[in-house]
Amino acid sequence: MKRRFSKLIAVLAAAGSTIAVPLHAAGPTSADLMNDAESTGDVLSYGLGPWQQRFSPLDTLNADNVSKLVPAFAASLGGEKQRGQEAQPLVYDGTIYVTGSYSRLFAFDARTGEKKWEYNARLPDAIMPCCDVVNRGAAIHGDKVIFATLDAHLIALNRETGKVVWNKKLADYQAGYSATAAPLIVKDMVITGNSGGEFGIIGEVQARNVDTGELIWSRPTIEGHMGMLNGRENGVTGKTGATWPGDMWKTGGGATWLGGTYDPGTNLLFFGTGNPAPWNSHLRPGDNLYTSSTLAIDADTGVIKWHYQTTPHDGWDFDGVNEFIPFDATMNGKPMKLGAKADRNGYFYVLDRSNGKLLGAHKFVMETTWANGINLKTGRPNYVDANRPGAPAGPDKGKSVFASPSFLGGKNWMPMAYSQDTGLFYVPSNDWGMDIWNEPIAYKKGAAYLGAGFTIRPIAEDHIGALRAMDPKTGKIVWEYKNAAPLWGGVLTTHGNLVFTGTPEGYLKAFDAKTGKELWKFQTGSGVVGSPITWMQDGEQYVAVMSGWGGAVPLWGGEVAKTFKEISQGGMLWVFKLPK
Amino acid sequence: MAGDSRRSFLTGLAGALGALALPAALRPAPLLAAPLEKVRELGVLRVGLYADNRPWSWDRDGTPSGIDVELARVLAEHLGVRADIALFPADEELSDDLRNVVWRGGLLGFQRCDVMLHVPFDRQIMAQEDNVVFLAPYYRESFGAACAADIGDCEAPPVQMHGKRLAAELDSIPDFYLLGSFGGILARDVTHLPSGYAAVAALGEDKADFAVASRAQIEAALADHPDAAIRKRKGPLPAMLSPGWDIGIAVKENSRSLGFVLEEEIMAMAADGRMKTIFARHGVEWQPALAAQPSAS
Repeated sequence: MKRRFSKLIAVLAAAGSTIAVPLHAAGPTSADLMNDAESTGDVLSYGLGPWQQRFSPLDTLNADNVSKLVPAFAASLGGEKQRGQEAQPLVYDGTIYVTGSYSRLFAFDARTGEKKWEYNARLPDAIMPCCDVVNRGAAIHGDKVIFATLDAHLIALNRETGKVVWNKKLADYQAGYSATAAPLIVKDMVITGNSGGEFGIIGEVQARNVDTGELIWSRPTIEGHMGMLNGRENGVTGKTGATWPGDMWKTGGGATWLGGTYDPGTNLLFFGTGNPAPWNSHLRPGDNLYTSSTLAIDADTGVIKWHYQTTPHDGWDFDGVNEFIPFDATMNGKPMKLGAKADRNGYFYVLDRSNGKLLGAHKFVMETTWANGINLKTGRPNYVDANRPGAPAGPDKGKSVFASPSFLGGKNWMPMAYSQDTGLFYVPSNDWGMDIWNEPIAYKKGAAYLGAGFTIRPIAEDHIGALRAMDPKTGKIVWEYKNAAPLWGGVLTTHGNLVFTGTPEGYLKAFDAKTGKELWKFQTGSGVVGSPITWMQDGEQYVAVMSGWGGAVPLWGGEVAKTFKEISQGGMLWVFKLPK
Repeated sequence: MAGDSRRSFLTGLAGALGALALPAALRPAPLLAAPLEKVRELGVLRVGLYADNRPWSWDRDGTPSGIDVELARVLAEHLGVRADIALFPADEELSDDLRNVVWRGGLLGFQRCDVMLHVPFDRQIMAQEDNVVFLAPYYRESFGAACAADIGDCEAPPVQMHGKRLAAELDSIPDFYLLGSFGGILARDVTHLPSGYAAVAALGEDKADFAVASRAQIEAALADHPDAAIRKRKGPLPAMLSPGWDIGIAVKENSRSLGFVLEEEIMAMAADGRMKTIFARHGVEWQPALAAQPSAS
């Protein structure tokens, strides 16, 4: 009843508007979302289409004219709430929808930048988020725009008015759960992962009815936990406790905090899973499935079809949540359905996306101390046992180990892009390592505790960040752009032979997709850690990105902090186009 | 420097007066007095306590309860103000809690507190945390064990508990002790519970045979389950990973004036038996902090 009413309002609003075309009143359908990579007049989904290749077929703006790119307008998220702006905007029907830090959602006029409405989630003040108060984006469907909040709610707003249509609890924030990823919409279902503190939580993927928010299926990521489908039990994940000692599978971790991608051809969802708990790997002998893995999940039932574990028995907090991006290419003379993932552990994996079989694994960072390559036959890393952090043994300081990449990863949350023109992946990576040792004295919840101490440090003289163009077939790095500060923003590539990404130093930059030559840059006033987009509007090609320094990097000090200590906070949407 | 002034103070109550005088000489008086006067003016002492930390501080049917809650109320009463008890969820480690609760506040609107209780009192931590002042060590905590009624010799080496149901708080030293000690032989027998108190209480509910927890958790759970015949292990645990630690209070670096008044009252409570009485009400035998005993330094 309530829903019909809000739909009626939307229709009335559209009818009274001179800009909205009646066609748009009903809003995008699931079929429109599947076609987002081809439809250039809008940006309907996180990653520009279900594969999330972040590739636009547009070429009005190209390597020859990008040097003339200028701001069209900017819009502030306002208030005192700044910190990290990691969102990717969406564009539909003359409106830019973008999420902000502190679980906010904004609608701006896509022609003028004027604010249409703003929604501020009311968050309980007792949440203590581990890694900044970011949000990575919204999803759009019909009359709704949907996003997840720091207190682990999923909220659907009417996209015309910003009023709440439904608000569902994904998980209990008091038990340590949170949510920051952009939801994925497939077949009229909103698919979400979960985030959470380091211990006691279980990763999960949920599918909900996009109209009502009601749960359709759920799939936990750790062995032994029961999946659900239409209110009925739908089989446990894996084999209960097979790769965990004792009851540790009950609290095994494996959060799906970065969301997922979807391949319509195989009807598979691809979700990465986080690290196992507790941090000390010596206490949990075994592979600890399915942590630090990519899971392929049937979109209709939530059943796991295959898994590939990038870091079995993870002892470095490498985590395995990175996006798995489907792409088609010819390999060994055969056209294949592939998928690629640049893992936090420093390796770039290419799998057959229909069955999860490993076809290639190549280092994309300067140094991986924890493993000497990946065994293509077994699919497992060739571990360097001496470089696994030791077991804590009482009050003495344990052995210090140097590990590269650092636990912030060869690549963290920031999504890479794939160009269908060059056949290259553009990977926002970081070259850094960490000294890790057992803390002699630590305290948790008022009691003595054994923690790990670590210092992150650069491993190169001239850079931490490196945008790398990687050939997925050979593992060859075709070009790289080095950046002093760590890269923390997403990448966009276009048919105009362009690659865009932002830097903590405040620039949005454009590169030649073939050569890596820097062609354009613009100073946005704060660090860029969001993901850029592009679309056609009134015959002109636009580019947009969020500016606002933050995320997990500034929380860790040491040598690394020197590269960004002068960067100011912010919260601006910047929109660019060529001058007429 | 902080360590040196502490040492002179901790040798006794008389020393406390000396410690009070020292910062007063270094700082202009009005600035020093501000936080204390602010509390008196507003009529409220905001006290930060860990949520779900029985028997120290937990939510009993909507009312904050526990040893630290009672202590907080006495301290507020001493200042002639109302106690505003803020139960907060523990973060990953102490320095996160100090940032969220004592010197900065939460990112999402959690207002920082005038004082936090149940703060480990440790010289090494003091040296690292220059935004807070650690004061008034009021209890000595350590880890121990307890057994269910029918489990035989509770003083036996823990390895002999192999095959029995072992309980510990998730992600705690007791947990790591059972999982990792003795070559990991006990790891498959461990049941994880949300708190040490729950681990000990499980012994009385036929859900566990042997539990490792803090002494206060053990004694409180025993007192709360008098009919369960849970037994406290008397001897120390071999190869235990922590020798014990002191617990005190923390105030923001610029709130020494308030901190010293609270410290004075806590020392008075220790001396006149009120501290012992509060602990006893929760079944816990009060143990003075090592740092508060003259012999300690």
